Amino acid sequence: MLSRVRFRRLPGRLSFVSHFHTSYPSWAKVHKTFKLADIGEGITECEVIRWSVNPPDSIAAFDALCEVQSDKASVEITSPFDGTVKELLVKEGEVARVGSGLCIIEVDEEVAVSLEEDAPSASQQNNASSGLQPSEAKPKEQTPFPTKRRPHPLDPNISPEQQLLLLGRNHANVLATPSVRHFAKQKDVELSLLVPGSGKAGRIEKRDIEAYLQIGISATNTNSATSTTSKDDPAEDAIVEFGRTRWNMYRAMTKSLEIPHFGYSTSLDLTVLHEILPIINSHIPRHYLPTSLHPPHTPAFSPSAIYPQPASPDVPSSGHYTKLTYLPILLKTLSKAMLEWPLFRSSITPSTSTSDKPTLTVRPNADISIALSTPTGLYTPTLQRVNTHSVYSVASQLKHISHLGRQIPSGLTPAEMPKRGGTVTVSNVGGIGAGEGASPVLVPGTGIAIVAIGRAKWIWDVDRGDGSGERRLKVNVSWSADHRVVEGAELVAFIESWRSWVEHPQRLIAEGV
Amino acid sequence: MLRACVFSTWRSHSRKRGLSTAANNTLSPHHSIYVSNSSNPYFNLSLEDWLFRHKNHKEPLLLIYRDVPCVVIGRNQNPWKEVNMVASRTTGVPWIRRRSGGGTVYHDLGNTNFSIHLPRSSFDRHATAQVVLRAVRSLGVDANINDRNDICVGKDKVSGSAYKIVNNRAYHHGTMLISTRLDVLGDLLRSNKPTMETRGVASVRSPVCNLQQYEPSVSHEGFVEAVIDSFRQEYNIEDSTHTVEENVNTLGIDYIHKGMEELPRWDWAFGQTPEFTYNISRTFDWGTVTARIRSKHGIILNCSFELPDGHQSISDDLVQDQSRQLEGQRYGFLDETKEGIQRMMEGPGAEIWQWLKMEMDT
Repeated sequence: MLSRVRFRRLPGRLSFVSHFHTSYPSWAKVHKTFKLADIGEGITECEVIRWSVNPPDSIAAFDALCEVQSDKASVEITSPFDGTVKELLVKEGEVARVGSGLCIIEVDEEVAVSLEEDAPSASQQNNASSGLQPSEAKPKEQTPFPTKRRPHPLDPNISPEQQLLLLGRNHANVLATPSVRHFAKQKDVELSLLVPGSGKAGRIEKRDIEAYLQIGISATNTNSATSTTSKDDPAEDAIVEFGRTRWNMYRAMTKSLEIPHFGYSTSLDLTVLHEILPIINSHIPRHYLPTSLHPPHTPAFSPSAIYPQPASPDVPSSGHYTKLTYLPILLKTLSKAMLEWPLFRSSITPSTSTSDKPTLTVRPNADISIALSTPTGLYTPTLQRVNTHSVYSVASQLKHISHLGRQIPSGLTPAEMPKRGGTVTVSNVGGIGAGEGASPVLVPGTGIAIVAIGRAKWIWDVDRGDGSGERRLKVNVSWSADHRVVEGAELVAFIESWRSWVEHPQRLIAEGV
Repeated sequence: MLRACVFSTWRSHSRKRGLSTAANNTLSPHHSIYVSNSSNPYFNLSLEDWLFRHKNHKEPLLLIYRDVPCVVIGRNQNPWKEVNMVASRTTGVPWIRRRSGGGTVYHDLGNTNFSIHLPRSSFDRHATAQVVLRAVRSLGVDANINDRNDICVGKDKVSGSAYKIVNNRAYHHGTMLISTRLDVLGDLLRSNKPTMETRGVASVRSPVCNLQQYEPSVSHEGFVEAVIDSFRQEYNIEDSTHTVEENVNTLGIDYIHKGMEELPRWDWAFGQTPEFTYNISRTFDWGTVTARIRSKHGIILNCSFELPDGHQSISDDLVQDQSRQLEGQRYGFLDETKEGIQRMMEGPGAEIWQWLKMEMDT
């Protein structure tokens, strides 16, 4: 599962280095000591009030870990990793000094690979299996964890100077009005990077911050402690480091080599949907419409006159829309097919031991992940329980998720990207280009099938009509599935089930959507 | 007849529709400035926590509220050490454990509470204290901030502060003494148990005074306006002020409702008390007894006794029995339906037992 921007692993502390003889990277259980980070404001020690976990509980990133107290501040600390709690180093009621260990968490960590001698074979293997990956210049020195990533707020391993920068202390030589400082903090921009600003006496103005954001976060390089960039002649090859999400994609796709993929492509006939779309669009429920489009006055007669209707759900403005596209309908019909096919509502049960026979966890509901390409990288947020939502609701969620994804930095949170992603992933590449076919790639932990949906286009279908043919709207869909779990015939039958809903949406009337 | 009834009901609904639509609107946590019209401390604390957890964590938020008389202790404090339980019972003024750290304060309608919520990364105690300081100074009081970030006039504190920090959000909340009954405050917070030693935060006692002593024109309403102005200025807020009523709708918000239920429950109020020991002595006709009670999370871990030499009326066995009966009991809330406890209350050790009960009740 591609991780959210803030999810991180501590740099360093590699247990061993392996040479690239096999194609698969290895995993090891590593014990990480989670240290009490600087809370700021000159506090040097805190008392541990309550632990929310005990060994051997398992814990996920952002789960409550403990509560500490320092003079007048009560601080809730969450876990920075997914893992298992191994040992509590400070008891309730005891004092922990800033920088000392709070607890030990056992984490599954991918062991970094030496890139020195074996780099050519590595790149060959990667390029062969995932043709969609553009080749990147590999960094010269080994930097397994790029340091441009913004550390977790409680990362105790960064130096005090870096902490100072992160906590946003006001520096004496950074001139800016309080409202500009606040704007900068809202946008997560470090003011000291913009000195001198364009205002009077080098004052930083709001427009400086906006201009800086336009350049993008790839320009940021505050923590350059361990990273190196090539000092080669700039007129020739340039060595570029992986950004955070591209690096995550690199590692995830390398892991995907474990999965034997098989593919299947077909096209779905959207002509009937095309005809009913205007009608669906003219009946979008009020709470999904932008407020500017609400009727200006309440009608003289209202259904709420004798009894108030239940309050309509609170829909954020980022979830408003004026017309539907085919995607929410395709997702809804896909969820119908998933209800008929428990196999496609299941995922391989995560297990700690590789010697046990694997099991499938079947969910009662259809969770579908969406591949979202954003300015900050590729994410796969998940729409949960799509079968329980109307097409309108799905459209609203999609709009909201893309809005969050387009923010710099990304506004996606664990709420949109739960640890347990969907069982089927959908990639709407048709939105980007008029492709004819694709071979999407599955990443372990993301589900057992992925489909790339192309761009709908009108074609002449000679099989229809009375032999003379007909103009039909079709869209190509290319599936890849995990052949350890899914048989070819099962995938085809599942797709035919989906097709039946898409090409005969009238069925939804009888089912009541 | 029936038709007439239906018609008149319809008419009254349509007349009231304007009001009921407003009352049916659920409170949203997405505004920036809230003033609570409720003076129920359980409601206000739960409202504060709800806003803290549900507002967009990148945006600043201000909440102002007042409570009817009550004592509010910090999250990790010992109520028996901080509060004079006898005074609390006699005056009927309750005490409540809040969710932020820090010390003990007294609330009444002459005290106005402010609460500033910010993203964790831009949270700075000093800056938020300045926001409030500016407001106080704009009312004509020559106030300043001491080294513990409390607002003072001269040597007297007029405000106490506490903080709460979570993953991506933090708040600074505090009191502002405008016209509080300082005499009542003194009685309730004078618990006087020098031999009770607690882990956890002790209150730092300071002399306090009301703003009205320095500037009689200062009022709750004036302070509210001044803080709102100062807050708007600092964070560039244009949102209008939102008043919050304690009514069917706000009480219907699950999170607030659950919070209000949790606050007075034993598990939160007493069960969050850190470990403490209490050494007490009492001289009876036949000699002096010293007891040492150790408690954690509101439960008595053990109680050991020291008896006078050559005591005859009280046997060692009896005292051992008493110790055993006390173990595992809730401090201050002995289960008198338990057979063993009843025996204690009636037997020869009754005097000691009564004394212990009395000490735990203060």
